Amino acid sequence: MIFMSVLPNNSVILGRRQLFMLPTRFGLLFAALLVVQLLAAINYSNGLAYALTFLLGSLAVVSMLYTHRNLLRLRLSASACAPVFADEIATFRIHLTNDSDTPRFGIAVMNGKKEIARVDIPARGSADVNLSVAAVKRGWLMLPELIVTTQFPLGLLYSWSRRLALHHSCLVYPRPAHPTPLQTLAVESLEAVSGLKAGGDDYIGAREFHPGDSPRHVDWKAVARGESWHVKQFGAGYQATAWLDWDTLEGLDTETRLSVLTRWVLDAEHDGMLYGLRLPEQTLNPSNGEAHQHECLKHLALFGLKP
Amino acid sequence: MNAPPVDRRVLLSLLAAGAFAVAPHGGELPLWIIAVFALGGAWRYGIEVYQWYRPGKLVRFGLMLLTLVAVFRQYHTLLGRDPGMALLITLIGLKFLELKTVRDHIVTLFVFYLIILGSFLYGQSLWLGAWALLAVALNTAALLHVMQPTGMDMPARLRLSGVMLAKALPLMVIVYLLFPRISGTLWGLPADAHGGLTGMPDMMQPGNIRRLSESSEIAFRVSFDGTPPPLRELYWRGLVFTETDGHGWSRGPVREAVKVSYVPLNDPVRYQVTLEPSNKPWMPALDLPAIRPRGARYHPDFTLEHREPIRERLNYTLTSYTRYRTGALNHAERVGALQIPRNTSPRARALAGQWQREHSGPLQVAQAALDFFRRENFVYTLNPPLLGDDPVDEFLFGTRRGFCEHYAAAFVTLMRAAGIPSRVVVGYLGGELNTAGDYMIVRQSDAHAWAEIWLPERGWVRVDPTGAIAPERIELGLDAVRRLELQGVVLGSLSNEAVRRALELGWFEHVARQARWYWDLTNLTWYRWVVDYGKERQERFLTSLGLDDISWKRMIGLLFAGALLVILVYAFFLWRPKKSADPALALYLRFCRKLARAGLVRAPYEGAHAFAGRAARKRANMADSISEITGLYEELRYGPGVTNQKKLTMLKTKIAAFRA
Repeated sequence: MIFMSVLPNNSVILGRRQLFMLPTRFGLLFAALLVVQLLAAINYSNGLAYALTFLLGSLAVVSMLYTHRNLLRLRLSASACAPVFADEIATFRIHLTNDSDTPRFGIAVMNGKKEIARVDIPARGSADVNLSVAAVKRGWLMLPELIVTTQFPLGLLYSWSRRLALHHSCLVYPRPAHPTPLQTLAVESLEAVSGLKAGGDDYIGAREFHPGDSPRHVDWKAVARGESWHVKQFGAGYQATAWLDWDTLEGLDTETRLSVLTRWVLDAEHDGMLYGLRLPEQTLNPSNGEAHQHECLKHLALFGLKP
Repeated sequence: MNAPPVDRRVLLSLLAAGAFAVAPHGGELPLWIIAVFALGGAWRYGIEVYQWYRPGKLVRFGLMLLTLVAVFRQYHTLLGRDPGMALLITLIGLKFLELKTVRDHIVTLFVFYLIILGSFLYGQSLWLGAWALLAVALNTAALLHVMQPTGMDMPARLRLSGVMLAKALPLMVIVYLLFPRISGTLWGLPADAHGGLTGMPDMMQPGNIRRLSESSEIAFRVSFDGTPPPLRELYWRGLVFTETDGHGWSRGPVREAVKVSYVPLNDPVRYQVTLEPSNKPWMPALDLPAIRPRGARYHPDFTLEHREPIRERLNYTLTSYTRYRTGALNHAERVGALQIPRNTSPRARALAGQWQREHSGPLQVAQAALDFFRRENFVYTLNPPLLGDDPVDEFLFGTRRGFCEHYAAAFVTLMRAAGIPSRVVVGYLGGELNTAGDYMIVRQSDAHAWAEIWLPERGWVRVDPTGAIAPERIELGLDAVRRLELQGVVLGSLSNEAVRRALELGWFEHVARQARWYWDLTNLTWYRWVVDYGKERQERFLTSLGLDDISWKRMIGLLFAGALLVILVYAFFLWRPKKSADPALALYLRFCRKLARAGLVRAPYEGAHAFAGRAARKRANMADSISEITGLYEELRYGPGVTNQKKLTMLKTKIAAFRA
């Protein structure tokens, strides 16, 4: 028995219980053709005509098994979606994996009634489908429920899966506010310069490697020794430190405040400042780098939302 | 649903499928109909490839009307088999011009299936069946192409279509055998459903048996229960001629038998006859049939006649006795069996009168006539000279060269002149035993005519005057006579040994004959199970399965049960979880499951190497065994050369011992 198995890494294998099938309108037309052929066979008592009619009928039945097989045990999973800002388009990548020794053809991935893509998957191969979803508001954007359908091989039958939830979501950062007028406000809220600025020539320590770090800064000797990956940090003698503070934006509503803070995080990162984020009940100490920026933006994105 | 318009390659698939579907009609329908189809296809191809003129809606409509009118002018109707097929083929040819959507293509392909079926209404030969199977495979491949334009090339589509059809075959056979057949038709057949056929003529004119004997067409096939009687006893009774005008012979007034009876003198012979359609009602039976098959009449002259002309292959089972004694003659029969025209040859009458005076009984007179044929330099030949107004006289005293019909007619005339009731019987003599299928093939060329005289103590007695001239004809069959004649041998002049030598087959002829027999068996099997598989054969088939008198409801039930069984078998193979073909991969997946239980799950995009690295970092204590197992696996799966059994075993033990 095959049930829909939700595997630990959020992938789904299509089992018999997830699959449905009905004839297409071509299937109904084919049935009408068979009736006409059968009447001719009976009327002319023609053995070959009987044989052809029954052969085509059997072919339709066999094609039913093929249509079913085309979806059965198809594995779907989604891979990490790069975070986007609100009002941008989030792109989910869906993997369709064929674990069987027969290729699968004409597999359509549907989002509701809309066909996203139609793919052929070679035996023991996989195909990727990108699903673009408009990210309307900050927070977690869930991957919509998908339906997989096929009419392969003869188009006489239409098989579709139940709605499949891959339980995958994409982080949507708040929409960054327009920079100009708010920039000044931000400058005002800057704390005193404390002395370190990244980007200089002096070695100022090592931190864990994050995707996106320049390969030039990776501590390759340590990697060669089999230690975990680190990047060497270099700095000049001083660096500006900014506290991006929720409270400085008094008088604005929550979403606007989050937008402005988002803008400031981006600008501060861009300018190579050290920056910390102060939200009600949450504080992120000053730092910089992509990971820190992501951490800040994530806090902003999920601010006030239920986990 | 509205897929984009289909491309040139799809069009080519369609054209190929159409050509195969329409081709068999080339021999049956007027050529212009095929031409309209071909031109329609070619035009569309030209439009796609060479940017030919693309007809608009109005032009297409005009062409369609023109075609309708042309078909009507050809047949003066639009109904019936021929005009129906003509319309289907021409209109689908024009349909090529407006192919656009997937729907258009599908409908066209469905019509091709109908056209393939239509070709069966003109004949059901084995060749046509094979051709149609090919056409169906191509059509299905084209359907695949329309529905799935990507991912598969032509060979792949043909292969898939072939495999699907092969899987459909067992299912089809079950439904074919068990679908309840009805006898008769639903609406009656159109008048054009039967064509020209050959068979035994209902009159015997000098020369027409011989003409029949030139045809090597099969008249009927017989399978005997038990050993067949010897060749010289295989007199297949077809028709009895009693009435003559001195030139030709006919049946005379036909009376339904009040009660036909005879006393059998030996064991019965049981056999089944498969009679080819002849458009004549005669049903040949071994001298003399004892029972009347269904749908037949039994005449007082011991012949069987079907109620209507035989237009489809007919099967019947018979019992015959080859030795018999028949009863007395009534007055009308006696008069009929003694009738000769007044103007019949005076010389023949004188000769018969002389025998009558010289001999004591009718049997002796008959013997005298046979001695006369033997003594007087008569020749049995397949190429007798033409005879004029009084053929009996000319033959007896002039040419003296004749075929069986000449001898039979002359003999009966002489007997009647001598006052002995007698008649001509035509039918077939002998047959070719097909050892491949253990049945006998009787051809039109085995057509034969012989005589019967009536003796008071024995009733009707068969006398074959041909046997007096050419015993080879009786003993060896007409085929042997033909070959002896080709070798220039004079019949009746050779010793048995010499004849056997003359008839010996070379190895090539021997092989050719074997091949011919197997081919005939194939054909007979095809006829029995395809062409002739109707209500009667179905009943016989079900009886052989032990299902006598089965109601059609139970048959339908049986049909569904059988079909379901096949589908379940297919579904079982489909649903059965497949073991991976690669043992190394199977072992590796087991290893992954062990790691997954420990919370280390391989991501779909993660290769074995990357996963091993991650796992080793998380579980430093097992890093060694993880990298060892992964290394072995990668070597087995991606390494060069054949699978190393030793390493596979090693991998197996290591994974078995692995504890995450």
